[in-house]
Amino acid sequence: MIKVEHVTKRYEGMTAVDDLDFEVLPGVVTGFLGPNGSGKSTTMRIILGLDHPTKGRATVKGKRYEELRDPLHEVGALLDAKAIHPGRSARNHLRALAASNRIPYKRVDEVLEFAGISSVAHKRVGNFSLGMSQRLGIAAALLGDPEVLLFDEPVNGLDPEGIRWIREFFRSLANEGRTVFVSSHLMSEMAVSADQIIVIGRGKFITQGSIDSLTATAKGTVFVRGANHQQLLSALRAKNATVAELNDEALSVSDLSAEAVGQIAFDAGVALYELTPQRASLEDVFMDLTADSVEYGSSGVRHEQ
Amino acid sequence: MNSDTTLGSVVRSEWLKFRSVRSSIWCVVVTFVLTIGLGILVTTVVRVQWHKMSQINKLTFDPVQTSLVGIVFAQFAVGVIGSLFITSEYSTGAIRSTLAAVPNRIQLVASKLIVLVSCMLVVGEVVSFGAFFIGQAIYSGVVPTASLSNGAVLRTVAFAGFYLTLLAAFSFALGLLIRHSLASISTYVGVLLILPLIIAFLPQSWQNDTIRFLPGEGLGHSMTSVQPGPNVFGPWVAFGILALYVVVLVAVSTSSFRRRDA
Repeated sequence: MIKVEHVTKRYEGMTAVDDLDFEVLPGVVTGFLGPNGSGKSTTMRIILGLDHPTKGRATVKGKRYEELRDPLHEVGALLDAKAIHPGRSARNHLRALAASNRIPYKRVDEVLEFAGISSVAHKRVGNFSLGMSQRLGIAAALLGDPEVLLFDEPVNGLDPEGIRWIREFFRSLANEGRTVFVSSHLMSEMAVSADQIIVIGRGKFITQGSIDSLTATAKGTVFVRGANHQQLLSALRAKNATVAELNDEALSVSDLSAEAVGQIAFDAGVALYELTPQRASLEDVFMDLTADSVEYGSSGVRHEQ
Repeated sequence: MNSDTTLGSVVRSEWLKFRSVRSSIWCVVVTFVLTIGLGILVTTVVRVQWHKMSQINKLTFDPVQTSLVGIVFAQFAVGVIGSLFITSEYSTGAIRSTLAAVPNRIQLVASKLIVLVSCMLVVGEVVSFGAFFIGQAIYSGVVPTASLSNGAVLRTVAFAGFYLTLLAAFSFALGLLIRHSLASISTYVGVLLILPLIIAFLPQSWQNDTIRFLPGEGLGHSMTSVQPGPNVFGPWVAFGILALYVVVLVAVSTSSFRRRDA
């Protein structure tokens, strides 16, 4: 449904998106995950024809966005909820969008109702809270009853009730067979709301798959505590294992299975007190995947922009 | 659903956008107040002072131009209307949802221009004829008056409205190119006010050759005078040149708008 084909976007001296190539399929919620500044929004703007790619192309249902005959009937998007003229009422904002694509005004009232902002529809958008603006943006995305939906960081600014509402909403859209593409920089959010995840970092494709497959491929660690700490440590290191000393008596081994660690300890004659395989959490996976591609890391300041 | 986005539907959308924000409504009100209000003020002063005026002033008195004096100020109000119609989309970020709904950028520019030019034509002609009629009514009985039955007078009043319309489109095109409200309005004011000041430093013979090409003091003067002065173009030529400026600027800014990222 959405196809990003070898898209590269360079601004003066900076590559925002680097040869991204992926496909977003209908019927599932696809998460678009990456640290802030990794190129998610740029990619979405390119899909919507707002920015022109330096190389490659993005298509929706086989067509570039500019070629779509009825864009709002095909694609609904929420990029930046606050990017609305503050002086216009919510209803007039939606009516202007509806008029351009010949959507009846009746539909405007329907989506306002659906998004739960009917009671403030006559109010100027400038007075809206971020959460209300998000709901207005969602209403706008639904105007043309589109098959493809894009949401850029939709959870930002929503209260817990709104977050739950939006998760169920994405799920129901996907269950109706629509293509739902949702960006986020929060792995935990993606874990509960997305079926498929595309991970990017620094504009580059990192990996793609279901949540389970991503955690499965990630290396877990083995927590181990033995009678002779130093002897165990050197025995493991002799086998080229990556070992971290957690404290005076506990070790964390990253690239061996629990069986292998147990065997090494046995061969070295160290009695084990504790041997626990630890599965990588989603956050670990994400941090691991994007460690090299965080734009603004907390240690080691990088200047990219 | 089988509704293609057409020019007509985009025009409807842009018309709704134009009238649903206060800034455009206010600027239209300001255009009325400046043109008609200043017209009333100036013509009233002339009427009261008429008996004190010298014979030579009385002989060269122009009842049309004095009633249309507010146009000089209204040109800034319509400039703000034209500019904000596009730059507010950039300052608020709304341009992205606009383009997501109307990805055909030429169609978008065309629709905005149709709405802007239609509105400004109505507003421009209403304020011009309004100021003219009210001015003549104030003069009547004391000061010599002009009548629309005179072709040159009719042309002058009608051209005053055209002048405001073209300036609004000119400012819109500047806004489309510059994308920033303050910078684009400043540029517009600079073209109308600062450029003549710079040219005033040139030798007189150069001034005569350049002033006539300026939108405000040259072309605007020609378009809004019954008898344009020496060294300037006639009203029809001035109208043509100003229209040409607008067409060229719209073409340049539209092609830049198509190429650039939103």
